[in-house]
Amino acid sequence: MRSKKKNKELLKDQVETCAVTERKTIKQLHQEIEGSKKTERVAQGALEFAESIINTVREPLISLDQDLRVVSVSRSFYEFFKVQPEETVGQLIYDLGNKQWDIPKLRELLETILPKKTTFDNYEVEHDFTTIGRRIMLLNARQIERVMGKERIILLAIEDITERRKIEKGLEKAHKELQELAAELKRATRAKSEFLANMSHELRTPLNSINGFSEVLCDETFGPLNEKQKRYVNNILTSGRHLLLLINQILDMSKVEAGKMVLALSNLPMKNLLNEISLLVADMVSKGKIEMSLEIAEDLPDIEADDLKVREIIYNLLSNAVKFTPEGGKIGMRAKKADPNIEIVVWDTGVGIAPENMGKIFEGFFRVDTPYSRVTEGTGLGLPLSKKLVELHGGKFIVESGGLNKGTQVRFTLPVIHRKVA
Amino acid sequence: MKKKALIVDDNGNNLTLEKDLLEVAGFEVFVAKDASSGIASARKEKPDIIIMDVRLPDMRGSEAAKILRQDKEMNGIPIVFVTASVMAEGKEEINTITNSGFLGKPINTRTFAKEVSQFIK
Repeated sequence: MRSKKKNKELLKDQVETCAVTERKTIKQLHQEIEGSKKTERVAQGALEFAESIINTVREPLISLDQDLRVVSVSRSFYEFFKVQPEETVGQLIYDLGNKQWDIPKLRELLETILPKKTTFDNYEVEHDFTTIGRRIMLLNARQIERVMGKERIILLAIEDITERRKIEKGLEKAHKELQELAAELKRATRAKSEFLANMSHELRTPLNSINGFSEVLCDETFGPLNEKQKRYVNNILTSGRHLLLLINQILDMSKVEAGKMVLALSNLPMKNLLNEISLLVADMVSKGKIEMSLEIAEDLPDIEADDLKVREIIYNLLSNAVKFTPEGGKIGMRAKKADPNIEIVVWDTGVGIAPENMGKIFEGFFRVDTPYSRVTEGTGLGLPLSKKLVELHGGKFIVESGGLNKGTQVRFTLPVIHRKVA
Repeated sequence: MKKKALIVDDNGNNLTLEKDLLEVAGFEVFVAKDASSGIASARKEKPDIIIMDVRLPDMRGSEAAKILRQDKEMNGIPIVFVTASVMAEGKEEINTITNSGFLGKPINTRTFAKEVSQFIK
């Protein structure tokens, strides 16, 4: 009996041990099941994450298995290539869209390049698709090895650069055209300057003959002339000199405009220079029965400028003042220091400038419409040329008038120390 | 004895005007319309001064001057260039010629003969 009881106990023990083991196993199993569920959840989550990335990216993206069959594509792929999922997933990439994707360069990338290099960026493919036309694409390819097994997966991102290329090409073309245009403009400008230089030479040669012979006749070098002959020859000489001045001024204008006027700088004693030039017009002033006043500041400094050009500017302005001021009127010149410049004002009480004509006075050959006779003298280029010459020196040039018959005032500056004008 | 002047210029009016002015001033004047006849005339007449245009139909005035300078009998004759182009380029050409000067166009009819005389030593 004892043994029976013992056996029973033994069995009980065994059962208990078994049960414990069993419980352990079940628990383990549970745990394992739990774990795999968790893994599955994680895997599911990762998949969703990957898919949402793929579908967010604007660029069409395609993943292929190692046999180059489509595993999945991004939403943008369907939109871009105008294809349906059912004719895409599981297909050989070359067969997509009715074999539209059988592109030699794509074959080269997938079959030759990728097996050697797992990464390849900016691989350019140009292809004429029947559905979406000719496209230029940049492909980025990644070959990913799966952890388990030998299977590979290929990711292909497609960037459509057709429009960008078009813009780039357009820009390139525009740039080239612009360069050609600039070169053409340079040629034309040079041709114009050369033409003007030649023209002025061609015009001056006969004109110098006219003036030279008239001068000799006027001087009666080869015998006396009667009064009428002398007056006529004098008219020829006056007109000839006028024409010569005009030609020279036109040439100077075009030189300044072409940027070819070079200043010959030297130190100018302004006080002496202004007095000298006022003496040049003194004769005109007294003939015109007008008064001239000079106010030159004691501390007026010497300036660094082109002697001939500065004389030309001041002479032009003073002779204009005389020409446009009727008998009994006044003209004058004021000069003072205005650091870092000097300021010179030439004024008159003459015919003035009507407000509506203010804009036209620098156009060249503009004459204020007035019955006053002496305005027909001069070339009509003195004022615009003077303005250009002042600006070439780096100064400012302003014309003011109270209106018709209210006089004119020309105010301009010249730098004391010359600075190069850009 | 009268001083001899040779004027080389392809412009007939210039020739006449300059010839008249120099003759009035007492020169004996010879003229030529191009460089080669000018050189020939210089060789023949041995002038005291040559007045030469910078632009001539057959060569530049400076080139003609270089030919004259290579000739032993004529390399001492002063040459006055008359030109309208007051460009630096033209002046440089002339500066390389010994015993030469420069008068700008248009010539001053009242001082021309005097200015020319100053180049004769």
